[in-house]
Amino acid sequence: MHEVKRRYVIPGDKIAEGNFRPLMNVIKSGNALVATRIGIAETGRDGVKVIPLSGVYIPRVNDLVIGKIIDHSSLSWEVDINSCFSAHLPAQDVFGRDFSPARDDMTKHFAIGDMITARIIAFDRTRDPMLTVQDRDLGKIPRGELLRISATRVPRLIGKRGSMIQTIEQATQTRVLIGQNGIVVVTGRSPEGVNLAVRAIRMVEEEAHTANLTQRIKGLLNVPDTPPPQERGPLTVGASKPQEIESTIDEVEEELEVEGEK
Amino acid sequence: MTQTRNLIDENGKRIDGRGIDELRTVKLTIGSVKNADGSAFIEFGKNKILAAVYGPREVHPKHMALPDRCVLRCRYHMSPFSTDTRKNPAPSRREVEISKVMREALEPALMLQDYPRAAIDVFVEVLQSDGGSRCAGITAASVALADAGINMHDLVASCAAGKVDNKIVLDINDEEDKEGQADMPVAYMPRLEQLTLLQLDGRLAPEQFNECLDKAISGCKMVYEIQKQALMQKYFGNETELKEEPQ
Amino acid sequence: MSSSKRSTIIVEHLRKQQMWDSLSRGKRLDGRDFSEMRQLIIETDIIKKANGSARVKLGDTEVIAGVKVETGEPFEGLENKGALIVSAEVLPTASPYIEPGPPDEEVVELARVVDRGVRESEMIDLDKLVLVPGKIVYTIFVDCSVLNADGNLFDATSYATVAALLTSKLPVFEVQDQKVVDSGNTQPMPVTSMPVSITAARIGDYVLIDPSAEEEACMDSRITITTTDEGFCATQKGHTGSFTPDQIKKAAEAATIKGKEVRARLKEFLVSNG
Repeated sequence: MHEVKRRYVIPGDKIAEGNFRPLMNVIKSGNALVATRIGIAETGRDGVKVIPLSGVYIPRVNDLVIGKIIDHSSLSWEVDINSCFSAHLPAQDVFGRDFSPARDDMTKHFAIGDMITARIIAFDRTRDPMLTVQDRDLGKIPRGELLRISATRVPRLIGKRGSMIQTIEQATQTRVLIGQNGIVVVTGRSPEGVNLAVRAIRMVEEEAHTANLTQRIKGLLNVPDTPPPQERGPLTVGASKPQEIESTIDEVEEELEVEGEK
Repeated sequence: MTQTRNLIDENGKRIDGRGIDELRTVKLTIGSVKNADGSAFIEFGKNKILAAVYGPREVHPKHMALPDRCVLRCRYHMSPFSTDTRKNPAPSRREVEISKVMREALEPALMLQDYPRAAIDVFVEVLQSDGGSRCAGITAASVALADAGINMHDLVASCAAGKVDNKIVLDINDEEDKEGQADMPVAYMPRLEQLTLLQLDGRLAPEQFNECLDKAISGCKMVYEIQKQALMQKYFGNETELKEEPQ
Repeated sequence: MSSSKRSTIIVEHLRKQQMWDSLSRGKRLDGRDFSEMRQLIIETDIIKKANGSARVKLGDTEVIAGVKVETGEPFEGLENKGALIVSAEVLPTASPYIEPGPPDEEVVELARVVDRGVRESEMIDLDKLVLVPGKIVYTIFVDCSVLNADGNLFDATSYATVAALLTSKLPVFEVQDQKVVDSGNTQPMPVTSMPVSITAARIGDYVLIDPSAEEEACMDSRITITTTDEGFCATQKGHTGSFTPDQIKKAAEAATIKGKEVRARLKEFLVSNG
């Protein structure tokens, strides 16, 4: 485990000097590595990055997002993914290659206002993000309590290998769907469980940058403070979901490394 | 313009009691506009100014989007009740000009190429004005942009210096602006040591120009410390050192 | 010309489900009862350069009103009365859906409805604000700026206007040698009544007082009713749906009851004003 130095920074703060690689939200200015956003700066062996504490969601390919259908043309749905760009879900993705506007009715499938879980399959500087729902567990979300959190807090809410969110799910008997874009949907059998999960999520959002958060969340949930589970255990509901979340974390971590190479 | 009364007394005190190098009291409150992506409310002397940022967000109308960078839009506007005589709500030429110089003061600090085809909107509303409102507005806007998580090279701090009773003074207020001899608002990126706004209204002798400029920059540095403290306080509370979480 | 618009806020189907669920159990999404208003915070005298000012927070909706008093010609047909004009602007800071520009029909309606409440209630005794009959009168400008919009701009703007007027210090103008001169003294605003507006939104068969932005995005119709201690003085039905006469009567009753509560809050400012 290499040593990581961490510090609170604002834009323009000098984090380090010398031969470090600038990763996320850091630029090299002369000999200095400088933060470009408010957040927690981490200087490690592989480079310097700033974990941001504020900012609108910027889409990334492979992100799992929760979006809202806001319009449709004859060939695609327009989806609000809580970002600076609307995303598009091509009708072909849902109806197949031989989609025909004459035969396949788009409104019967997704109506304006519907919430969907989707994955971003394409996005670059020249076009709006494109989505797919062609995966297990993607598609219209039938029910649940909806919350919005800052997209910058999502990694903290998920936790290392899903540990934070699983702690919350298990303690409240709920299933929590988390979009990288900061939209969260909680479902559970009891309203008390759902409310408690919502409170825990809000607490993580507000205190994401502080120490001992896991302890305090466990306190809120009345869970003994034992080390987090090494392997995710089977959940009673939606056993496939944690895998999705875990693979998202791995992707996030990979992504961070990739981004650092830019 | 020629002065009609003394604005600095024999003890070096100005009409509001300040010394010639003294900044007015500055207070910044961050995040008060719930709907905005970032916001800051500044009280700079008697100025009360709100800055709110929305962005990056979609550009409307779409044809105004730029393919390789973000569009930055700034609006400086004074509320009708903000001045001594009521101001008509429609934008005046002064507001149009200030909106422009404000945008040009903030743009160098922003990494607009990170957000192609999007827009960042900065709205500065003067609720009460008392000299130096554009400086206070830029100062608040810069903090609001950081609050919104926009990638920035540096913050932008802004302050004015001026000439009053033939002396170069820091941060002139409304009366000093109206009755004094010169007003020089400046905006400055502290880490990069670069100026992004410079205007002069009045007359300065050749040797006074540098003095005035230096004084204004020193004011910007004082303002920067206030911006920094406000952001740290808002985001990190009273924690100045990061404590490690046990793994 | 006024035309139908695409709705700016599209409410998520999950939220709508939650809302219907909640309403069927007698509660709104934020936990309120149907006739419960959000937290109301009123501060006055915040803009020293204005003759009077107030900042109102109704839930997250935030409005600042400033009063500026000048002199000018009376309105046509009202030669022996002071002039009073209420204007409003929803600042582009207020929500992601606002674009800067001249006030659109919603904002014009907002200003006029608030103005109507103040005017028809005769809140300010305009007879006392004449300097030279038929020629020079006091002109009172009330300008409202909505800083953050989270529903029910009507009531928030109305309370800010009333609080600002209540606590205004009127300059004492005098006419000397055919010119108007500010004597430097001030007097309290001649207040004779206190209008309070209460707005309700209809969602299905439910009538909800003080709607949030989300509720307004789901509503079928809206009604704003302004009352004084003596009765009703202004009403405005808004939005594209309808009401049954019974719903209107119930709303009028609620406006009287709730109006009393808010008036008691506003009266606190009157007592402390000189």
